Amino acid sequence: MSVLCPEIPAPGFSFDNCRRNVMLENKGLVLPKATKTGTTIVGIIYKDGVILGADTRATEDTTVADKNCEKIHYIAPNMYCCGAGTAADTEMTTQMISSQLELHRLYTGRVVRVATANQLLKQYLFRYQGYVGAALVLGGVDTTGSHLYCIFPHGSSDQLHYTTMGSGSLAAMAVFESRWKPDMEEAEGVQLVRDAIAAGIFNDLGSGSNVDICIIRKGGNVDYKRTYDEANKKGQKQNSYKYQKGTTAVLTTKVVDVEEVTVRRIETEEMDTA
Amino acid sequence: MEGPNDWMDAPHSTGTSIMAAEFDNGVIIGADSRSTTGAYIANRVADKLTRITDRIYCCRSGSAADTQAIADIVSYHLEFHGMELGGDPLVEIGANVFKELCYNYRDSLMAGILVAGWDKKKGGQIYSIPIGGMCVRQPVSIGGSGSSYVYGYVDANFKPNMTQEECVKFVTNTLALAMSRDGSSGGVVRLGIITEKGIERRVVLGNELPKFYEN
Amino acid sequence: MSSIGTGYDLSASQFSPDGRVFQVEYAMKAVENSGTVLGLKGSDGIILAAEKLILSKLHEPGTNQRIFNIDKHIGMAFSGLIADARQVVQIARREAADYRQQYGVSIPLKYLNDRVSMYMHAYTLYSAIRPYGCSVILASYEDGEPTMYTIDPSGVSYGYHGCATGKAKQAAKTEIEKLKVSQLPCRELAKEAAKIIYLVHDELKDKNFELELSWVCKESNGLHQKVPDNVYQEAERAAKQAMEADSESDTDDL
Repeated sequence: MSVLCPEIPAPGFSFDNCRRNVMLENKGLVLPKATKTGTTIVGIIYKDGVILGADTRATEDTTVADKNCEKIHYIAPNMYCCGAGTAADTEMTTQMISSQLELHRLYTGRVVRVATANQLLKQYLFRYQGYVGAALVLGGVDTTGSHLYCIFPHGSSDQLHYTTMGSGSLAAMAVFESRWKPDMEEAEGVQLVRDAIAAGIFNDLGSGSNVDICIIRKGGNVDYKRTYDEANKKGQKQNSYKYQKGTTAVLTTKVVDVEEVTVRRIETEEMDTA
Repeated sequence: MEGPNDWMDAPHSTGTSIMAAEFDNGVIIGADSRSTTGAYIANRVADKLTRITDRIYCCRSGSAADTQAIADIVSYHLEFHGMELGGDPLVEIGANVFKELCYNYRDSLMAGILVAGWDKKKGGQIYSIPIGGMCVRQPVSIGGSGSSYVYGYVDANFKPNMTQEECVKFVTNTLALAMSRDGSSGGVVRLGIITEKGIERRVVLGNELPKFYEN
Repeated sequence: MSSIGTGYDLSASQFSPDGRVFQVEYAMKAVENSGTVLGLKGSDGIILAAEKLILSKLHEPGTNQRIFNIDKHIGMAFSGLIADARQVVQIARREAADYRQQYGVSIPLKYLNDRVSMYMHAYTLYSAIRPYGCSVILASYEDGEPTMYTIDPSGVSYGYHGCATGKAKQAAKTEIEKLKVSQLPCRELAKEAAKIIYLVHDELKDKNFELELSWVCKESNGLHQKVPDNVYQEAERAAKQAMEADSESDTDDL
């Protein structure tokens, strides 16, 4: 490098630190952990639209960081997206794509398509080569029908009729594989999604708390059921364990007269605002 | 620490059996439908036969993210080129655009692609683009992790200028054999028959696959 | 010229009130000052012919060519300012090479024509630059299909069976129209092209000229190249004979 010709820094992102971190990790350094939503998220297509479901536990390593978080994110009026993986990444990714789609909607004056959201999300995730840790289940309806996509952190995506993601996906998929069928009624679909999330909550350590459900019907009618079900209801106490009045015997009684109290009023003073 | 959810972080890849073969008036492309993340089957009905233009398709193997991204880019590029030229792009051109991307980004991509299609100039054609970005035309080509098990079968059974149904049978048999021996291939066999008329898609379900020696 | 003195001819970026761009029209005048060039599309390929005027006795034959190779299957002939044309040749060559690099196959002439004409047209849009003072003829033979285009300094291009530009383009076009070009093979067309160049050459104004002949056809395996010596000599002989026959018939009439 010379003074006359300063070196121009290489354009684009540098992932050098990622390699350094792997090296340090191999040498035994414990890296700080990002909050991950060890999660169960699912989605199905039913007769009249799409149903998305999610649990509400957020974890930091083995600690439950949030017992009732929201994992079904708004994308557009006709589209929602469940997020698993790094909580910050799923939150920011969905927010940003949501904003881009809203501008797109205003620009074109049309209902945005689910395929468009899928393309934007996968291209964004591919650009960051898996370092943006968002695993998504995208569902919605548009002029071409109901659509459900499963998007992986490295930027690949599949279009499916039913899908699960997150650490509880195996448990949830077992429920779908045995009970999903084409053209289900809404009530039946919601029950299936609830059961799939419950399977995650009960069988996966990373998932827990409540079931959130979001129903997106053809025509754009949305029913976001926050805390659709509390899978782990606190049990009701069978009896009252309060002590009865008079359980403890009164041995002595002494009454003390309180002196008379006078109240002195202090006049308020005007503040000098001159 | 090896966490309990290692498979979640593993790149989503298509441990695959893919194949393409020329026949008398076009090409047959075929693939299994299994896509895996680590040991978990992320999608058992995946479609690895991806449209580039009406008469050019590609069979994808390797990282799903990489191959999907490349296919999207090439598809965009050829559509534009087709408009400028006022006609369908040649398969050769499609293969070359794939090659250019696969070669230039060979250090950051994991992609083994078969480009197959039909054009007026050379009829049915297959170009194989393995990892590293080589590009070579072959009358029959196989790819993915399952292919190693069936090279012998292909060499013994491929004949140039088969009829369409003969060739469909040959491709289905080859893929069924590959899927039965390769753990990361399986599911259904997806087929595409590309001729002057365009593509005809077929599916052979898991229970309808041809049976061979099993024990 | 009506445009002179009106002030609308000073820049290519300004129209005249009656909707003309004089700078482009002046560029066309520059083309009309140079030797005639023609292209004939026959049944099995294309012949390009150029009348290269010799301005100095010291000129060495075979230099200062007016027909160029763009790619192995594409030829370009020009009339007009040679320095301008060389620049067009250079960008055409680069387009062809880029296409081959990107797509692994040779560039279709239709595509090259679009690119080059777009480039030439861009030079008619801005005040800081002047249009190219040359017209070019592009010819190729791809998959048994001969194709030919000409591009004007305005950037307009058309496909042709037979075309001519330069000093005597009207006379040459009249001669070409007498032929059934699309039915003739290239070997015949070589003679016809030579005859036309000899015929339209104005011996009084321009003393000497050299005939340039190239083809891209079935016989040359789809490659653009100078016609072989025997074809050239045969064509030149046929042209000279025709001229003699012509002058004899002229004297007969007297």
